Amino acid sequence: MSAETTISADVRNESAKRKKKIMAAIQWVLAIIVLIVIVFPIYWMLVSSVKSQEEILLATPTLWPKEFHFENYVNVLNRGNFAKYYWNTTVMTAGILIAQVVTGIFAGYGFSKGKFKGQGLCFIIVLGALMIPLQVTFIPIYIMMANWGMSDTFLGLILPEAVSPYYIFMLRQTFMSIDDSYIEAARMDGLGRVGIITRILAPMCKSTLFTVTLVTFTNGWNAYFWPKIIAKGESRRVLTVGLAYLKNTFAGGESMNNHEIMAGAVLAVVPVIILFFIFQKYMLTGYSKAAMK
Amino acid sequence: MKKKVALLLAAVMVTSAVSGCSGGGSTGKAAVGGGNGSAETEAGGETAPVDPAQYEVTEPITIKWWHALEDQYSATVDKVVSDFNNSQDLITVEAEYIGSYSKLNEALVAAHAAGTDLPAVTVANTPYVAEYGAGGLTEDLTPYIKATGYDIEDFGDGMVEAAKYNGKQVSLPFLISTQIMYYNKDMADEMGITMPTTWDEMDAFMEKGTKKAADGSTEVYATIIPGWDQWYFETFYLNQGVNIINEDQVTTDLGDEKAVAIAQKIQDWCNAGYTYWTGTAEDASSNMRQNFISGKALSVVHTSSLYNNYVDQCDFEIGMSWLPGADTKNQEIGGCVLLIPSKNDQATKNAAWQFLQYLCSKEVNMTWAEGTGYMPTRKSVLETEEGKAFLEKKPAFQAIFDNLDLINPRIQHKGWSQLATIWKNIMAEVMMEGGDVQAGMEQMADEINDVLADA
Amino acid sequence: MNEKKINPRKISAVKDFTCVLPVLIFLAVFTYYPIVELLRISFTDWNLLNDTWQYVGFKNWNWLFAGSGNKYLWNSLKVTVLYSIGELSITLIGGMIFALIFNRMTNSFAAMRAVIFMPKYVAMSSAAVVFLWILNTDSGIFNYLLSLIGVSPVDWLGDRNMALISVLMLTGWRCIGYGMMVYLSAMMGIATDYYEAAALDGANAVQRFFKITLPMLSPTTLFLFVTTFLSSMKVFQSVDILTQGGPYRSTEVFVYNIYRYAMVDFRMDRASTVGIFFFVLLLIVTVATMKVSNGNVTYDS
Repeated sequence: MSAETTISADVRNESAKRKKKIMAAIQWVLAIIVLIVIVFPIYWMLVSSVKSQEEILLATPTLWPKEFHFENYVNVLNRGNFAKYYWNTTVMTAGILIAQVVTGIFAGYGFSKGKFKGQGLCFIIVLGALMIPLQVTFIPIYIMMANWGMSDTFLGLILPEAVSPYYIFMLRQTFMSIDDSYIEAARMDGLGRVGIITRILAPMCKSTLFTVTLVTFTNGWNAYFWPKIIAKGESRRVLTVGLAYLKNTFAGGESMNNHEIMAGAVLAVVPVIILFFIFQKYMLTGYSKAAMK
Repeated sequence: MKKKVALLLAAVMVTSAVSGCSGGGSTGKAAVGGGNGSAETEAGGETAPVDPAQYEVTEPITIKWWHALEDQYSATVDKVVSDFNNSQDLITVEAEYIGSYSKLNEALVAAHAAGTDLPAVTVANTPYVAEYGAGGLTEDLTPYIKATGYDIEDFGDGMVEAAKYNGKQVSLPFLISTQIMYYNKDMADEMGITMPTTWDEMDAFMEKGTKKAADGSTEVYATIIPGWDQWYFETFYLNQGVNIINEDQVTTDLGDEKAVAIAQKIQDWCNAGYTYWTGTAEDASSNMRQNFISGKALSVVHTSSLYNNYVDQCDFEIGMSWLPGADTKNQEIGGCVLLIPSKNDQATKNAAWQFLQYLCSKEVNMTWAEGTGYMPTRKSVLETEEGKAFLEKKPAFQAIFDNLDLINPRIQHKGWSQLATIWKNIMAEVMMEGGDVQAGMEQMADEINDVLADA
Repeated sequence: MNEKKINPRKISAVKDFTCVLPVLIFLAVFTYYPIVELLRISFTDWNLLNDTWQYVGFKNWNWLFAGSGNKYLWNSLKVTVLYSIGELSITLIGGMIFALIFNRMTNSFAAMRAVIFMPKYVAMSSAAVVFLWILNTDSGIFNYLLSLIGVSPVDWLGDRNMALISVLMLTGWRCIGYGMMVYLSAMMGIATDYYEAAALDGANAVQRFFKITLPMLSPTTLFLFVTTFLSSMKVFQSVDILTQGGPYRSTEVFVYNIYRYAMVDFRMDRASTVGIFFFVLLLIVTVATMKVSNGNVTYDS
């Protein structure tokens, strides 16, 4: 009786093991197929960016470049004014980042650890703003900025994005999780608000702060809608918009210069992708963690 | 080089030099006369009696020039601008590439509304002249022309007309082109085909010019008519007497029998595989061009400005043929004019006027005409020995030179760009979805009437 | 508590308020005031090309609901909804399938997951020009690959039936990894004893998925649904680069419609009118989804 059960258990184990192995094999096969599909556009972007114009137009596309034409990159940087776009994007992203972090941390503190009349109402005002995207309000803001002479300026690019209700919300939630006793102790030590924020709260919430800031950076770097509207000229054009115009820049939409456009596309994504691989841990969870709370 | 440009400037502004304008020499010293500050106080002086002193440049100034000249022209742009900057001491021009004509239009109107960051000089695609004129966006150049004695008579008549709005000279012709049918001469000779000259001949041409594979699929299209810009097909309508905008300015005849018949014909050709409709997608233009270059199309309708481009990329001889006509065989002006936005201050406008004269000058114009497919704009080129010399270099332009008088100004209406968008969208829908032409065109006419009435 | 020491408290409250004040001022100027302004402009005839404007009552509203604007309003609403459905299906269903495929806690799978997630960080404009190139009718690799299996060239961006699908391909490529990651992190949170119990009851893998995994993931699904839905309604960039709303307005989503009236036709009056309509629509959708999320979900108690 007992021997019988052991045997059948063994058999069951055997079959379960085999099943598991089959499962794993299926998963591997599917994973690799999916991986190829997802990676292909990136691969194709890289490969096309070093091909010659003749080669990208071949009736039978080549999977690997016959010759490497790195001058495509030089062409884009020089002729397409990409160096300037790079600078504009960098300044804009830095401006947005600093503004959102500073306003976000202080407001996050005020809403979590501060106490004042109407706090709840004020917070609702912040939350309500989440429901009013720039895609709705861009017309009056655009007119306002234009009247202030801010079209085609860095201030014009940065200002409407200077405050992020989302960032404030995230920081508030995080700061709330920190026990008040830390704050009290710091106060006893004679720390003011700025001290409490920079020496206590920020270090304690380092990881969240960093994650949210990375997301903010990415969003700033990849921003398109507002920069397209406010920066019409070339002087303050950013990478994303410049890239979309590349087709035009080279030959009025008349010529096949996809090799150079791909070089531009690579240049535009490189900084963020490097960040992604360095800070993978944070960036993988960044979006989901940020929005989950 | 510098000297040559200086000379040219002197020539262009020969009469204005009398008033002591700076453009006359490479010394670039501004005249003492006129007095500082007169520019500011006399802003809006177009109604005042013509006083040349009003339009002088008296102080150093940096001005912006917006253009839509893509990378292929950037060497020319750089050269022209630096030549101008070197030719005198007061005005420094900074050229800025904004984007395509429509992108530039968006930027310009936005800047005009804000009243800030306006360029001193900008190019504008020909159909926008009316919109800008009606909206008060452009400075009326008439007093400038009078004051400085600028010779406007030398421009081709149609070109000058195209740069006017309501009788006012609100712009000057800069880079002018027209529609043209490019054809693969080698292939045409081999197939024994002569290009059609009338709409009636089109049927036969389309059939004969198309090569089909054994399975019935098309190997060579007889022609391709661009669908991403109505400019390329509107002449077919105009030449058959269709009023795109009626005299009342608020209705269109595009829903009428004649108009429907034209669209129906094109649809038939598409269905028969003689041609395909490019549609309005981003890559429509480069795809069409690629088809021609690689011998998959006997001919294409495109702008004459791309002549050099085609010549560079095709390994066969290229012919140019005037578009098939009907009652008339008119064509329309394309390309761009130059204008001065009206909200600039007078000092900027004065500097802009100097630069504008220079850009429109015969020599600068010829730089472009020789290096691209843009046309010479000056009668003193078009109708003289110089024109013959030009034709020797570009024999294909004979088709254009033969018909210069037939190149007409664009239709001018404030609602034009909206009309154009609706039109090309419906054409694409009807051709590509194989919809009912009659219903599509009638519905379109209703929509256009609505736009026209509201403009 | 300590009513006597009211003074330092008040100072403290003022200081705390000062921390949030800049943000409040900012939101007043850049978020709330524009809404009021938008409403005001919708009652004018403001064309950016004209120097003057005046109030015209309900003319624009009439245009939107009974005039020529109506057709395109419903068109853009339809396109937006179709797009949203597409993006939702990809993120939810596709993300779930991907999560099941990549649900192995080994290093090689972790690396693959990172790569699958990466497109989310590729700038949309880069991704869009890459897809523009891949989907090119004559020289694109996609049509070439299709030709190998005997499919004749598809005009991905110029055919009205294909254009929205093309836009969705791009969207899907960028967001499917995100759906996967969200689902995976939620799956890891499901206690293993549920599965063990079910296994003892003789439930097979498929049954366990539908009986345990799916219900347990419903808060995650709802979360993904709400956030994806709201963001999909604001789609602009992919459409702007891939199709500009074409061919013949078949991919003209809501934001693109507003953008066109404002920045291409310069009809600020019409753009504002549609803008207000869009705002109200967003508000209704947000409130509705919030209402739904307050019930209807299984939580792990």
